[in-house]
Amino acid sequence: MPGILVYASIVCDAVSMPTREILGAARGVAAKTGEPVSAALLGSGISSLTQDLIEAGADSVHVCDNEKLWEFHANAYLKVLADIAASVNPRMIIFPGEAAAIELAPRLAHRLKGGLITDCIGFEVREDAVIFTKPVYGSKALARMRVDGPTALVTVRPRTQEPFGPDQNRKGDVVTVETALGDIAPETRTVERVEEEVFECILEEANVVVSGGRGMKDPESFQQLRELATLLNGAMGATRVAVDQGMVPPSCQIGLTGKIVAPEVYFAVGISGASQHIAGMSGSKYIVAINSDPDAPIFSISNVGVVEDYRNVMPTLIDELRKALA
Amino acid sequence: MHIVVCTKQIVDPEIPSGEFKVDFEAKRAVPDQGEPVLNPYDENAIEVALQLKDRDKDIKVTVLTMGGESSQKVLRRALAMGCDEAIWLKDPSFEALDSAGTAAVIAKAIRQAGNVDIVLCGRQAGDWDMGQVGALLAEELQTACIPMAYNIEKKENALFVKRETENGMAVLEAGLPLVANITNSSTNQPRYPSVKGVLMAGRKKIPTFSAGDLSIDAEIPKRVVVEELTLPSYDRQVLFIDGEDGPEKAVNLAAHLIKMNLIK
Ligand SMILES: Cc1cc2nc3c(=O)[nH]c(=O)nc-3n(C[C@H](O)[C@H](O)[C@H](O)COP(=O)(O)OP(=O)(O)OC[C@H]3O[C@@H](n4cnc5c(N)ncnc54)[C@H](O)[C@@H]3O)c2cc1C
Repeated sequence: MPGILVYASIVCDAVSMPTREILGAARGVAAKTGEPVSAALLGSGISSLTQDLIEAGADSVHVCDNEKLWEFHANAYLKVLADIAASVNPRMIIFPGEAAAIELAPRLAHRLKGGLITDCIGFEVREDAVIFTKPVYGSKALARMRVDGPTALVTVRPRTQEPFGPDQNRKGDVVTVETALGDIAPETRTVERVEEEVFECILEEANVVVSGGRGMKDPESFQQLRELATLLNGAMGATRVAVDQGMVPPSCQIGLTGKIVAPEVYFAVGISGASQHIAGMSGSKYIVAINSDPDAPIFSISNVGVVEDYRNVMPTLIDELRKALA
Repeated sequence: MHIVVCTKQIVDPEIPSGEFKVDFEAKRAVPDQGEPVLNPYDENAIEVALQLKDRDKDIKVTVLTMGGESSQKVLRRALAMGCDEAIWLKDPSFEALDSAGTAAVIAKAIRQAGNVDIVLCGRQAGDWDMGQVGALLAEELQTACIPMAYNIEKKENALFVKRETENGMAVLEAGLPLVANITNSSTNQPRYPSVKGVLMAGRKKIPTFSAGDLSIDAEIPKRVVVEELTLPSYDRQVLFIDGEDGPEKAVNLAAHLIKMNLIK
């Protein structure tokens, strides 16, 4: 029986949310095809997470717990993944849309001579194949694609799939993977690492996101957005242009090539609403746009809009909301 | 040292959704809408290469593209920005390749060029948004691959590559040869071509390479098939907030958000 293999990523010593989401998607496909769902779990000191993966939808977990995998190195991870793929022989391998996985997927595809479709948002099971939906042209169009050949690999856009369970009654097999990593040398050496200070909460998890774009003009004006974000216990985001102009650090970028967010409320200030930006925030429950141009495309995807120079709106808005919260 | 930057000409990614046209039959964007542009992330990659060259005149930067007649434009623009040479991969069999096929052809060309130390790619092309070719090239050429890179410094024979991480940055030391995928940053905003650059670029000869020139005799693999292209729809109805001036609109917006129970 062909199966589905899911790459599990670990964030802060736990199974990441995007991993839970792709396990949900895999269970959705398996419900129609009856295939087994396996998970590949790689790292050091991670064996305790196998049961979590089973509860989140895996039928079996192939675990390689090796101190050589403590730090992420593509070479070592690829060797283990190729071993797991050889023993599972899956017809489909699903990766979460997270940094390391995005790096591994094309290289594993090359080693397995499989086809890879990145940034998928939907799965449709047909008799002969699974059809994947992928936004293309900056999310202005949707492509339905399939892979020709024995192995289809996909990366999945975070926040597009429903996680499964967790179901504490689920049972599964744990398979220990013994890949020899002795002769694998890291390809690069990290000589410096700088983590940015997190001012508010983590962007992807925030209930409120206040974002600014080119309309903000300078780093100082972003202080107003940070003030509103802090007041609402939210986080601050930005467009690519704001990052390119050095108004905010790259970790604030939201969109196709930035972070994917889906808060309760999203404020878009001085943002035109390019499709590549919308790709990262269209899942927001409620969208508020402030833009001086009444024809800005952002309004067509917003719930409420204010046509105005943000400088005439922000100070009063912050005051009013502060009063209401007091 | 020799750097090759892989580039692509694409339909202008800034065309708004409402105006964007799709050829449903051919399953791709209508090609002649707006002026085609050099993929923005490739421009960042060219800038990273040229910054290396600014500091070390012995570095040669070659811009490479694969595509039909109209892609000459991206090569001329890259030359005008300051690249030394161009390579144009042009053959009917190179049309509509998937990422695997594209990487296979480009790898052939790079191997044929010989002595290439660094290959730079934009992190993804703004048409199919696949973001695979750089990593596939690393596999083809058996080199290390650094994704999300935005700056490269050379010290003796080592490279120091700045890359973005989830919440900050890291500096990686890497040897040669190397493939890096370039992301946008305030430090690699593409320079404008100078007038002199444009004039020089116009005169440069651009060599083309066909499948035969690259000794590609077997069929190029194609693993990803597009079944259908559709346009997405959004179903939000915007409510515009009224008011005499900015502050009044702000008061009304605040009241609306509170009424909707969105402020907690
Ligand atoms: C492959 C690719 C990937 C990309 N990925 C991303 C991504 O991940 N995220 C992203 O954001 N972009 C991305 N982009 C870029 C995207 O195409 C747009 O260029 C970008 O989103 C535009 O940013 P913006 O809205 O800040 O700027 P603009 O489009 O210039 O809009 C600025 C807006 O501000 C308004 N404004 C100006 N002054 C004021 C004022 N005083 N008060 C109120 N409003 C004002 C203007 O009316 C305008 O609507 C990508 C592009 C490509 C090709």
